[in-house]
Amino acid sequence: MNPPTSESAAHLITLLASIMLVLQLLLVVQRMLVANIRVFATQSLLLAAIAAVVGYAYHAPHVYVVAVLTLAGKVIFLPWWLERLVRQIKIEQEIDAFVNVPAAMLICGAQTVLAYIVARPITSLERLGNNTLAVAIALMLIGFFLMINRRKAITQVLALLTMENGVMLAAIALTTYGMPLVVEIGIFFDVVVAVMVLGILVFRIRETFASMDVSKLNELKW
Amino acid sequence: MLLISILCVPFVVGLLCLFARPHALMEALNIAGFASVLILGVKLFKTVLTNNGNAVTQWNEFLRADALSAWMVLLIAIVSLATSLYAVRYFRRDLANGTVTERGFREYYVLTPLFATGMLLVVLANNLGVMWIAVEATALSSVLLVALYNRKTSLEAAWKYVMLGGVGLVLALFGTIFTYAAAIGKTGGEMPSFNWSRLLAMAPQLDHHLITLAFIFVLVGYGTKAGLAPMHTWLPDAHSEAPSPTSAMLSGVSLKIAIYALVRFHILVTACLHSSFSSNLLIGFGLFSMLLAGPFILVQQNLKRMLAYSSLEHVGLIFVAVGMNAPLTVFGALLHMGYHALTKPVLFFAAGNIQQRFHTLDFQRIGSGLVRTMPVTALLLGLATVAVSGLPPFGLFVSELTVLAGSFTSNYAWASVVILISLIVVFCGVLNKMAGLLLGPSNGAHARETISLSNIAAMSLPLGTLLVFTVWLPDCLRQLMELAGNIIRGLP
Repeated sequence: MNPPTSESAAHLITLLASIMLVLQLLLVVQRMLVANIRVFATQSLLLAAIAAVVGYAYHAPHVYVVAVLTLAGKVIFLPWWLERLVRQIKIEQEIDAFVNVPAAMLICGAQTVLAYIVARPITSLERLGNNTLAVAIALMLIGFFLMINRRKAITQVLALLTMENGVMLAAIALTTYGMPLVVEIGIFFDVVVAVMVLGILVFRIRETFASMDVSKLNELKW
Repeated sequence: MLLISILCVPFVVGLLCLFARPHALMEALNIAGFASVLILGVKLFKTVLTNNGNAVTQWNEFLRADALSAWMVLLIAIVSLATSLYAVRYFRRDLANGTVTERGFREYYVLTPLFATGMLLVVLANNLGVMWIAVEATALSSVLLVALYNRKTSLEAAWKYVMLGGVGLVLALFGTIFTYAAAIGKTGGEMPSFNWSRLLAMAPQLDHHLITLAFIFVLVGYGTKAGLAPMHTWLPDAHSEAPSPTSAMLSGVSLKIAIYALVRFHILVTACLHSSFSSNLLIGFGLFSMLLAGPFILVQQNLKRMLAYSSLEHVGLIFVAVGMNAPLTVFGALLHMGYHALTKPVLFFAAGNIQQRFHTLDFQRIGSGLVRTMPVTALLLGLATVAVSGLPPFGLFVSELTVLAGSFTSNYAWASVVILISLIVVFCGVLNKMAGLLLGPSNGAHARETISLSNIAAMSLPLGTLLVFTVWLPDCLRQLMELAGNIIRGLP
């Protein structure tokens, strides 16, 4: 069972996780690309903070490593790199999404409810905070919706990254001490390389199609 | 040392190619690298056999190779070697035509060994988290290869591949974490082991609810990577737009790597739940993939896309056979993996020759009568077509028959009817398309093809090996596959 000191830590983690969810909703309505990237950076900062709280409250030094990796990679390096990409390809604003904002909000609300229902049978297995697992699943579902709803390649990359944030949150919520360090470090490098590869592709798509509207990628059918 | 050297050789080759200047050196490095991987793979296979099927481990069980891994290592090595032989002339031509830039040329020779390293790490890693990292690494190293030609369509294919694959892999990571969480608190220690072998040893104690959820996520995740319908939509795009050597690697082994990853989870879940939960899911998705492939092959207008759908059908068959969990079907599945890995690259190589000559893959625009204009390619393509549609004397006939024989006597006899129907549809589709392409009058004054020796060798070596291993399956290979089959079926 949790040591008594973790009572306040659990509250703090719940708070931080719910702010992550709010930021995810902000991503759905925000159309400026640079602002989107910064919202993602803030969300990752919260994830790093959760890891740090876990490391402190449970005296698990190696979770600090996770916090530092998240901070260096997803809060500082990737946002910087993506913003540079946005400047290079000179597209700053998302065109209209497929679903308008009020409808998108309703869909996200429904997805959050769905996530809570899905997570219900296994909340007893959560070792941290309240409903962190539900938030993690909600992050994934909304990330999925974000990816379908937007046309710009960079927003899709951001959606993929927020889904990954959701998975990492679930990892912390379910396991407390995180996963073996070699796995954490491996995942970190994979994500960084993935975004760089995606960046190269976005750049080439922009050069070849004179746009990064992925709905123009429609030549290949069955 | 054996396992480490298998991983290090292709990795070092990739790094060396980053700095090598002359083209011939890059080609030679690739060929030599994959040849030594094959030698090491054979050595590993012998070691596993002399160990009586006990796993070879290294670095405190971080790397682990049992019979199943050894079999996969052999497949990866053979396909990579054949591909590196074929790539020599293919890319020299592309470079001369200006289809590929100098940079693209280097990209191919650097990324392909890294792609192979990723696949080898998937089958040699014991830690399920590391396995996920390696699968993601194979996706990342192959996506730039798919986009190598930088055409509109190839960029589209690469984007679909990386986005669908990315979502799939995020789900697979979720499932992997669930599996890890299922072991927490069951061993006493705070950090349970993430090693597959350890998890299997304590399988009945794992949290049943979490394991069930985990398998669903992993099935969708790795299933996307394996091209399981309905998550297969990236597959025909990526296979048709990639340069032919890359298509051969993707179809020949990369799909099977994802199957391997999924099968490892299937073994774990079956050992934990003692039910046919995961088997049923594998059979369901497998049959759906098989049924879906047929109609798409019948209406397909593009040679490489048709080959991709044929891969979809074979992947489906392997899943169904593994899911049935009978001794005969599992053996057939392993045999099928091997024979398919030897056949598919030849088809893609021939398609590459055709594409370089006609600058199109459209059946209509290539026309008919290929036997007259490109006799050698047409002959090899014809033989490989006969093989891939499951006709004797080639191995796929034997493996498909084995699976069918096993399935008729298993609990899933109804499924064998579905398998038969879809096999027949695909058979008719592939033979019809290919007969139209190969036979008949040729459409004009094309000069005869010039074909190099390395090209013929690259295509006839896998076909020759296929023929040899069909009529004469050495006892040691049979033994290896039986051991691997026992692992899949959860026997000690």
